[in-house]
Amino acid sequence: MSRSAAAVPPAPTAVAGLEALLRSMADDEFVIGFSDSEWTGIAPLLEEDIAMSSLAQDELGHAAALYGLLAELTDTDADALAYDREPGDYQHARLLDHGRGDWAMTIARRYLYETADAVRLEALVGGSWAPLADLVGKLVREERYHQMHIGSWLERLATAEGEPRDRLRAALGTLGPDAGTVFTPLPGEPALVADGILARPMAELEADWRARITSVFDRLRLPQPPPTRDPERGRTDHGDAFTWLHGEFTIVRRSDPGATW
Amino acid sequence: MTDPLALDPVLAPSDRASGGAPARQHDEAYDAWFERFEAHVMAGGKVESTDAMPDEYRTAVLRFVEMHANSELMGVLPEREWLMRAPTLRRKLALTAKVQDEVGHAQLLYRIAEDLGKPREAMFDDLLAGKTKFHNVFHYPTVGWADVGMIAWLVDAAAIVAQQALRDSSYAPYARTMRKICWEESVHIMHGRDVVVTMVTGTPAQRAAIQDALDRWWGPLMQMHGPRSPRDKDMDLRWRIKAKSSEELRQEFLTIYVPRIRELGLVIPDAELRYDDDARQWHYTEPDWNELRTVVTNHGPMSEARLEFRRLARADTAWVRETILAAPQAA
Amino acid sequence: MNDGPALEPWEVFRREKDGDPMRHGGSVMAPDADLALHYARELYGRRQESVRLWIVRRADIIDLEDADLLQPPLDRSFKKPGGYVMRDKLAAAREAAGQSKPKARDRR
Repeated sequence: MSRSAAAVPPAPTAVAGLEALLRSMADDEFVIGFSDSEWTGIAPLLEEDIAMSSLAQDELGHAAALYGLLAELTDTDADALAYDREPGDYQHARLLDHGRGDWAMTIARRYLYETADAVRLEALVGGSWAPLADLVGKLVREERYHQMHIGSWLERLATAEGEPRDRLRAALGTLGPDAGTVFTPLPGEPALVADGILARPMAELEADWRARITSVFDRLRLPQPPPTRDPERGRTDHGDAFTWLHGEFTIVRRSDPGATW
Repeated sequence: MTDPLALDPVLAPSDRASGGAPARQHDEAYDAWFERFEAHVMAGGKVESTDAMPDEYRTAVLRFVEMHANSELMGVLPEREWLMRAPTLRRKLALTAKVQDEVGHAQLLYRIAEDLGKPREAMFDDLLAGKTKFHNVFHYPTVGWADVGMIAWLVDAAAIVAQQALRDSSYAPYARTMRKICWEESVHIMHGRDVVVTMVTGTPAQRAAIQDALDRWWGPLMQMHGPRSPRDKDMDLRWRIKAKSSEELRQEFLTIYVPRIRELGLVIPDAELRYDDDARQWHYTEPDWNELRTVVTNHGPMSEARLEFRRLARADTAWVRETILAAPQAA
Repeated sequence: MNDGPALEPWEVFRREKDGDPMRHGGSVMAPDADLALHYARELYGRRQESVRLWIVRRADIIDLEDADLLQPPLDRSFKKPGGYVMRDKLAAAREAAGQSKPKARDRR
C-alpha cells in the first residue's frame, strides 16, 4: 500500500517543486492518453487496437494516481485537478499538443515521450518523499510493457523501406523541435534536487535522454531531434488544438456544474 | 445479438445478407452423411473448425458470426466520441475499457469467421460496401452522456440475453467465445447501470436526460432481437447454432429489465407494455419493423456517416497493412 | 509491397491461477513472435486474468485427430475402471461367507 501524503508530509521547501512536478507528470499522462485513445476502433489491426487502448488506459491510470497524490498535497480531488482548470493552466509538454496524425506520428510521439518519461522516472526512483517513491516504483513496472511495445514498433517502421520509413522520418521531423519539452525546467526544481526527491536537474536528464536516443537513431538512420524550440515555454502555449480538446473533455461537466457523474 | 435470419421477414430478398449455399444435386452417400451430421448437431453434438461440415451449415454459421462481429465493430463508434468527453477519470477508464472489450469481441468473432475460411479484409470489404449487416442499435446517434449510460446498460443487456443463449451453440468455437464474451459483458452492464443510477439520483437535468434517453432508445431496443419468425423454417435453431428465437429473447429481456427500469422511477414509453399472467408473456406495442428494415439496410440516421468514417480510417491505415501487418496470402 | 512475414494465427494457452493446467484460450493474428506476445497479453491477459501464457504459431502445432489412433475400434475396457464390474461376484461371495455388505465406514 502506498504511503499517503497526509501520513508523510513532504519537507516544506519541496512543496512548490513537488506540486509543479506532479502537475507536469499528471498532465503529460492525461493528455497523451487522449491522442492514444483516438485510435480506438480504427487502429491498423484489431489486435493492435486493443493494445493501444491498454496503453491509453495505463496512461490514464497513471494520471489518476499522480493527480491523486497532488490532490492530497493541495486539499482538492483528482477529478477537479484533471477537469476544472482553464486550458492555460495545464502543464503538459508541448510535444503532446500535436494532433494525433497518422500511425507513424503516433509511434514517433510515443517513442519520444516514453523514452523521456523513462529517464524522468529513473530519476525519481527511491526518492526521499515516500508517497512519490512508492508510486514511481509501481509506474516503472507498468512502463516496461510500454517500452517493449514502442521499441518494437519504432524498429518495424524504421526498418521497413519505403512508406513506413518515410512517414516515420516525417513525423520525427515535425515533433523533433518539441521532443525535449518533457524536460522543461520546473519551478521549485532546485529544492526537489536538494531534498533528494529528484536525483538530478531536468537539464541533465535531458542530456541523458538525448544520448540514449542518439545511439538508437544512429543505428536506425533516423533524424536526431534538434535542440528544443522555445525551451522556457516548453509546458505552456498549448495552442488551439489543446483549447479544442479542453472544450471537448469538459463539455459534460460544464453542462451541469457540481453534478455527480 | 439478433442473427441475420431474424431480419429476413422484414428484408427484401435483395437486402438479405449474402450467403446461402446454392442447392446441390446430392448423391445418396452425401445425403446419408448430411443426415448423420444433422442428427449429430440436433442431439447436442459439437462441431469444430477442422471438422467436415455441409456447406449449408458452414455458411449459416459464418453469416451469423460475421454479423455479430460487424456489430461489435460498429458498436464502438457510438460510444467512441464520448471517450474524450467522459466527465470523471474513473468513468473515462471504465468507458475506455468497455469499448476496448468491444473491439476485443470483434477480434474474437472475426477470428472464428476467418477460421471458417473468410479473410478478415473480405469481411471488412463487405461490411463497408453494405453487403453484410450490423445491428440496428448502432445506426442511431448518441446525443449526451445519458445515452452512454443507457446504451451500456440496456443495449448491452439485450445483447447479453442473446449471447447467453449462444453459449451452447453446436459450433463449438462460437460457444466457447460466447462464454468469454458473456463474462466480459457483465461488467459493461454494471458500468452502464451505475451511470444511469447515478444520474437518476442526481440533478433534475440529469434525471430528465436519462428519461429522454430511454424515450429515444426504447424503440430500437424492442426491434433489436428482430421480428418473430417461424421456428420450423429457422435452420439456425434446427442445427442448434442458436438456442432461442427472437421472441423468446425479447420476452426474456423484458422479464429481467422492465422491473429494473421501473424501480428507478423511469417511465417506459409504451402504454401497452404489460405482463399477461395467464398467457405468461409480455404484451407490447408492435415494434416498427419498417424502421428496422430501413435502418439495417444502412438508411439509419448514422449509418452512412459511420460507414464512411470507417472507410476513411481504413484507407488512412492501409499503408501499415500493406507493409508491416500484411494480410495472409489467400490460401 | 511487402516481402516480410504476413499475418498468421498464433494460438494462446493460459493458466488462470496457480495450480491450474494450461488451457487453450483462443488465437491472435500477428506477423511474428514479438507482436504475437503483445497481442496474446492483450486478448488473454489484460485484465490480470492469467498468471501465465504460452503463445505458439498454429503452423508449428502438431495436430492429431486420427480416429484410428485415438479411438481405435477394439475393446479396451481393461484399461478403464468401467471394465471391472464385480457387483454380482461380490454379492455371491458375501452370501457364501454369510456376510452382509459392509457399511461405508465399518471398521470390523
